[in-house]
Amino acid sequence: MSPLWTFLPLGLAVVSAGTPWRFRGLSLSLGLAGLAWVALGGMGWALGWGAPFLYLLLLGALTLGLAPYLPAYLAHHPREAHLYSLLVPLFLASMAGVALTSPGFGFLFLWEGMALLGYFLVALEGPSALVGGRAFFLASRLSGAGLYLAFLGHGHLGADWVWAGLLLGFGVKAALFPFHAWLPQAHPVAISPVSALLSGAMTKLGLLGLYQSQYWFGPPPPWVGWALVLLGLLGAVYALVRGLGEEDLKGALAYSSVENLGLMLSALGAYFLKPMPLLLGAFFLQQVAHALFKGLLFLGAGALEERRISQLGGLFRKAPGLGALALWGMVAGAGLPPGPVFLAEWQLYQGFLQGPFLMPLAAGALALVGALALYFYVRLFGLAFLGLPRGEAGVYWAPGMRLGLGLLAALLLLLALGPGLLLGPLGLGTYPNGLLLALLGVLAGALYRGLARLPKRLYGTWDCGFQPLTPRMQPNALGFAEPALRLFPFLRLRVGEHPRLEEPLAEVYAGVGRAYSRLAALVQTLQSGSLHLYLLLQLLTLVVVLGVVLL
Amino acid sequence: MTALLALLLAPLFSGTVKWLKARLTHRQGPSPLMEYRNLAKLWRKVWVVPHPTTPLFLLGPIMALLGTLGALALLPVLPGLAFRGDFLLALYLLGLGRFFQMLAALDAGSSFGAQGSYREGVVTVLAEPGTLMALAGAVLLGEGFSLSGLPQLGVENSLVLLLALASLALALLAEGARMPVNDPTTHLELTMIHEAQVLDHSGPLLALYELAGSLKMLFYAGLMALLLPGSKPLVFLGVVGAWVLALAYLETYGVKLRYLRLPDFLSYNTLFGVLALLGAIWRF
Repeated sequence: MSPLWTFLPLGLAVVSAGTPWRFRGLSLSLGLAGLAWVALGGMGWALGWGAPFLYLLLLGALTLGLAPYLPAYLAHHPREAHLYSLLVPLFLASMAGVALTSPGFGFLFLWEGMALLGYFLVALEGPSALVGGRAFFLASRLSGAGLYLAFLGHGHLGADWVWAGLLLGFGVKAALFPFHAWLPQAHPVAISPVSALLSGAMTKLGLLGLYQSQYWFGPPPPWVGWALVLLGLLGAVYALVRGLGEEDLKGALAYSSVENLGLMLSALGAYFLKPMPLLLGAFFLQQVAHALFKGLLFLGAGALEERRISQLGGLFRKAPGLGALALWGMVAGAGLPPGPVFLAEWQLYQGFLQGPFLMPLAAGALALVGALALYFYVRLFGLAFLGLPRGEAGVYWAPGMRLGLGLLAALLLLLALGPGLLLGPLGLGTYPNGLLLALLGVLAGALYRGLARLPKRLYGTWDCGFQPLTPRMQPNALGFAEPALRLFPFLRLRVGEHPRLEEPLAEVYAGVGRAYSRLAALVQTLQSGSLHLYLLLQLLTLVVVLGVVLL
Repeated sequence: MTALLALLLAPLFSGTVKWLKARLTHRQGPSPLMEYRNLAKLWRKVWVVPHPTTPLFLLGPIMALLGTLGALALLPVLPGLAFRGDFLLALYLLGLGRFFQMLAALDAGSSFGAQGSYREGVVTVLAEPGTLMALAGAVLLGEGFSLSGLPQLGVENSLVLLLALASLALALLAEGARMPVNDPTTHLELTMIHEAQVLDHSGPLLALYELAGSLKMLFYAGLMALLLPGSKPLVFLGVVGAWVLALAYLETYGVKLRYLRLPDFLSYNTLFGVLALLGAIWRF
């Protein structure tokens, strides 16, 4: 039985995209495709058919969340709605296709098609998305170049070259440091459902590709493993610190994606160096958990009419349901127990500590990532959802959107209750996390009810008795992060009337870009329009080719 | 089991520290048992709900207490749970409590609460990696990757375990918000870390926070006790007694560090952690 039948429901969305029933068609087709992918992926993973089926499961879960969310969202944001309802199903199909294809021409074709569709989905958002879209496009080209090197060089070049190409090709998609810079530019500018797909699902294809490459192209040389561990951890720390200074809520979420991907890359690198099932467990569990919680948070961000953290605040009181779901997503995202991301990190710690050579020291880096993630998510949730409102921004929170977020949150809860569903096929288990979750829930609930019943009295926040508190007395987005930003020298914080964060790494990228433009201008002199020059070039090419062939 | 023991012991611990500090400055001081009465009094009081708050305001103290108790429950001072990797869960359960405490501090919309919140975050970022590495170094020398298999201080492993003990001691000062990281007796809002976060919590909520604060210190004391030879419950009581003396003397004769000097102080923690882990890898 070919897995292609699971793509059929998406045709419904494509057919109905131009008609007045496009939203109903979209909902139905995404729901059916999501269910089919979850069923097929879950079965395939349980039966040990391999990593692509886990990817299908992950994609199916996200698609299920999008099925009620996307139409409700598009109904409120009518800009280019018909194009989105056509392109999103195609994008989903291309991602599932990439996951199920083995390497070769078909794979490259689908890979580039997916990149192109992703670019359209980012750039559709309008002029404001052009810079992000261009970053996405350039990253796709770089990724393509790496893959051509690997795919065409396989069998001709040594394993080192092939794996360098694979690291570039798949690493750029999975935001491997220092090729991560495109992600926080491109993902937040798209509409929220698309951001959820890009961060939650598309980046995982890079990880899947790297994992499958060991079967396609033979085992990686040791330097690949070390590079993945070091760059992954470096990227995770860098992204969290940079994301701490990010003003845009969705931008901060995108940096958190870079962090999570960095941890997954380092887990894979450690696995390449010493194949322990624990590390695979961390690698796969974090993929699914990240897709679910990041999908949840991006979709939640789509309900807000304002994305600048300095204009938010007090959202929990405006939309308690959204606040509770976002809190669950952020507890999971901060890598705290009993969330499933913690279970992945718990395995990763143990894997690192049993690793070869100086690998145990990576546990220290992981602890730093954990502490920074705590700070990071306290800032996001605390400034956006708690405290006094800093602006008038509203919340658009339609029933379909609630259902979509609720579905993803429930799936995340399921994963926390029964991580064995996912880890079982790998022959792994964890401590009884479901029991911990239940125990914490019951005790916290009982204490909450008890405390809420005790006599209490409503009063203002303590303001020292001088003058009443105003929202501006709360720290703003950069102010809350300032003490932590001071600790890390790779960012420069300019304080003053208009505080801002400078990123020296961005200047390096700009320098590379300028050098490339100069090179392009130099090459362009060949394209002079002069027929004589072109004839001369043809003759020269002929001579060189003949020379190579004959000698 | 350990959690219950610590729960009973926690008010006595903080009460004795307060009493000894008073005696050292030639004051009469409150009775060491005063803290029990204080908690009972706080529990009976009417608590204040600041206007802008949400359920998170209440969840802060609850989760801070539950997280700390959960971490303590994993300490095999008295026989209890043990499994592979339990030390990671214990440290992260403390983190869970800290997460909700930091959020609750932001909930009332007060600038003091926010200050306390981000300062707590900075202390965590500085202290956590070193503590985890030191503990991991000790665990690597032991058996079964678990707190129940921790090695005990002897001649062969003395270097790693001494480094781990030093790191845990620094962690107790940092995470317990004691001198020289934070002055628990000050009420000058600009210098506070822990107190600024709990400024708007009153009555029973404050009682939970005070309990959680003492319990957190007992957790680190318990970890240190696990590394020392002898009967665990007795060693635990001994370590706690030693900490009462140490804290009282430190807070009577010491001074609080400037907040901006914290990275220098806590970098020792990271250094101890790295060295302990290196020692465990290379077995020196």
